[in-house]
Amino acid sequence: MKIIRKVFDGLQPLFEDGGRLKTFKAVYEALDNFFFAPSARTPNAPHLRDPLDLKRYMSMVIVGLAPALLAALYLNGPRLLAMIIVSYMAGGAVEVAFAAIRKKEIHEGFLVTGLIFPMVLPGALPLWMVAVGVAFGVFVGKELFGGVGRNVFNPAIVARCFLALAYPRAMSGGYVAPGGPGRLLEWVGLDAVSGATPLGLAKQGTWMDVPLLDMFLGRIAGSAAETSTLAILIGGGFLLMTRVANWRTVAAVLGSATVMALMFCDSLTEVIWQLCAGGLMFGAFFMATDPVTSAATNLGKVIYGVIIGVVVMLIRNFTGYVEGVMFAILLGNIAAPVIDEILYKVRFRRLQIEG
Amino acid sequence: MTLRGGYDVVLAGRPDKTLSPMPDPDALYLPLKTRRFHFTDVRVGNDDTIGQGDTLAEDPANFSVPLLAPRAGKIVYSPSDPCITLTHLAKTPAKAKPADAAAQLPHVAPEMGDGGRNRYKLLSLGAWEYVSDAYTGALPDPFGICQAVVVSTVAMEPFVARGDAQLGGKLLNFTRGLEHIQSLLEYQPIYLVMPDIHSQLATQIRDQLRGYAWVKLVEIPPKYPFDNFSVLARHLGLKPAAGPVWCLRTEGALAVDQALTGDKPCLTRIVAIGGPPVSSPRHYEVLPGHPLADLAARAGLGPNVRLLDGGALTGKKVKLSDKSGLDPECRGLTALAEQTDREFLGFVRPGADRRSYAACFLSTLRGKFSEKLTTGMRGEPRPCIGCNFCEEVCPAGILPYLIHKHLYADQIDEAAQARVDLCVECGLCSFVCPCKIELMQQFIDAKAVIAKEKAEAEAAAAKAAAAEEAARQAAQAAAAQESR
Repeated sequence: MKIIRKVFDGLQPLFEDGGRLKTFKAVYEALDNFFFAPSARTPNAPHLRDPLDLKRYMSMVIVGLAPALLAALYLNGPRLLAMIIVSYMAGGAVEVAFAAIRKKEIHEGFLVTGLIFPMVLPGALPLWMVAVGVAFGVFVGKELFGGVGRNVFNPAIVARCFLALAYPRAMSGGYVAPGGPGRLLEWVGLDAVSGATPLGLAKQGTWMDVPLLDMFLGRIAGSAAETSTLAILIGGGFLLMTRVANWRTVAAVLGSATVMALMFCDSLTEVIWQLCAGGLMFGAFFMATDPVTSAATNLGKVIYGVIIGVVVMLIRNFTGYVEGVMFAILLGNIAAPVIDEILYKVRFRRLQIEG
Repeated sequence: MTLRGGYDVVLAGRPDKTLSPMPDPDALYLPLKTRRFHFTDVRVGNDDTIGQGDTLAEDPANFSVPLLAPRAGKIVYSPSDPCITLTHLAKTPAKAKPADAAAQLPHVAPEMGDGGRNRYKLLSLGAWEYVSDAYTGALPDPFGICQAVVVSTVAMEPFVARGDAQLGGKLLNFTRGLEHIQSLLEYQPIYLVMPDIHSQLATQIRDQLRGYAWVKLVEIPPKYPFDNFSVLARHLGLKPAAGPVWCLRTEGALAVDQALTGDKPCLTRIVAIGGPPVSSPRHYEVLPGHPLADLAARAGLGPNVRLLDGGALTGKKVKLSDKSGLDPECRGLTALAEQTDREFLGFVRPGADRRSYAACFLSTLRGKFSEKLTTGMRGEPRPCIGCNFCEEVCPAGILPYLIHKHLYADQIDEAAQARVDLCVECGLCSFVCPCKIELMQQFIDAKAVIAKEKAEAEAAAAKAAAAEEAARQAAQAAAAQESR
């Protein structure tokens, strides 16, 4: 600890005005504040503050993602780790470049985006596509809007959407089929192991061929971390308990999806199958709950969740697309500010009446 | 309005119920500028010898509320001083002041009778300054009419003097004070706000007040900031347009009893001294103007401690100098250690010792406990991510993040439309914000700007009306001249 402090103190002059690495001051400050919490004091009342800061908040999301990540590593092999590293590096470069240009600090939000993005990609996607995708997502989905807190769309979903539209074959063919006891020691290649997702099979008419237990545990083909419903439920439940993810969004997405499924499914098994299939669970717990891009008001979160849940089921079952979570969340992101605007008006009227 | 939001900050060093007298200091430094008042009309000169309970100064802007001498002694004062210094303190019993309302305010006695005389007594004996208006927080007109009276025994902020510490052994005085307040009113209700209206204390009060149907007991959950008077007034359905709401705390009712039953001036204050660095946190009976340095030394405060006049969430920083005395309106002193060190990897610690609004620390499994908080920001400022915590804790039902967004974009009119004026300045939004945004301070500033703009617009309108009137008169005069 003291050694690290000494290293930082020694490096500091390089990043000060006139130092050789002045451009990367944001990186130095981010790392410095990562290791040592700043000792800033409250300038005015309230004189104390909650210990929760954005670093902790975002690390809670990462802890929540951990079970799904472990399951994904088990099912997809160490190649996923390489994808995550590439994602962090490419997206981080965009983030640092923008911080240097704007002369602002680097924000923690990217820690989540950079991790969540490879987790929603097919496990055998070429690494350069990961890099291109995350750079596009961070640049267009976040930085163009003004950075963390001001983006309208979830950057990870923007990135995935871009890849799905730009490289449809790689995206739909890169799913890693379940194999053996797991792929912990196997580097999956692009053609060797590609499998069809249960939703894809359903589209071809071989509906319900996959056993329900496999769907729940994740022994199916699909994007890296979206397959294991069990792992998602563990991590997502943790997020709900810590209040980092708002339970209203999750409940609304899953509730409305269940209601929709009940309307056109014959049996309860099919309903559960629908809930476990594709990215619905992962999207509901980790992507729809992004506070920045979801509706802000509590009632708004419910409406926003219902939109997502309904649209997912409509796209999935009544259109040519195999999977609908990505588009549904984008649609929800578009609707969120409008929902909020209406609810604000309602709230102001109520305040007017209350006096 | 139902009570909503709220959150309890459990700070270590909570003062216990015992009430200890504080020995008299060598000298008292009575500040001329307090929270609400500015005593510009000084009635004494240097080297004067005055008696206990004499009026030292008055605030002409606030119905001539007096600054009373807490002890007999000798004055040290020059017009440039920010305070009146009182030395050679002597404890002589206060001579009963004749409530000479008729001589002082000739119009009062005939118009208002006994009630007017009693109101004058409250004002001149220093009990009226315990009353505040629910919406503005200012001193209401002692000879005016109110729509209701709210008496609250709840004090939730860490740390201000609590009702339970003051009521010990003084229950009779308290209920008698309530009766006196009632005698000032015509038909307006008195709401007595308590945390638990079925407790032993509440039952005793109810027994003593039996037959007085005019006191309505109101139970509120003991949660910060439901003891805030504007929250309470809105909760009780009292509209600002219907006139002022007189608000008193426990000490106010006791002061009313002291002034009207015994004709005695209210000279001492009950102040809670607490906070993590305080060696023995408790309630003290103190004289206003007591040197703060002496109080800090008695509390065992070392260097690098921030002393606050008031609670940790809304209090004001106190500057400890030689001549700083206790504000007569102070209800509590809170001490907080200043943040000095930089915690290594602070954000990844499990955090069994830190409690958060969102259950993001291990302490969630521990239940409620008092935390040794410091003045640290505990994080870096970031743009708002819309986590909605501020809306959840807001007792006023406004949307702090939305107002922040408007203020960030310099849209002051939109902020006014989002009802920033309803903010009760409890500080909870700033407390819970994970992005460390100074929400409360921004709202206070915005309210000031809005009030200023409104006043300017009114002044401009009045000016325009006056000009129009002058022009009309001139035209009339010209017409009269012509016709002649």
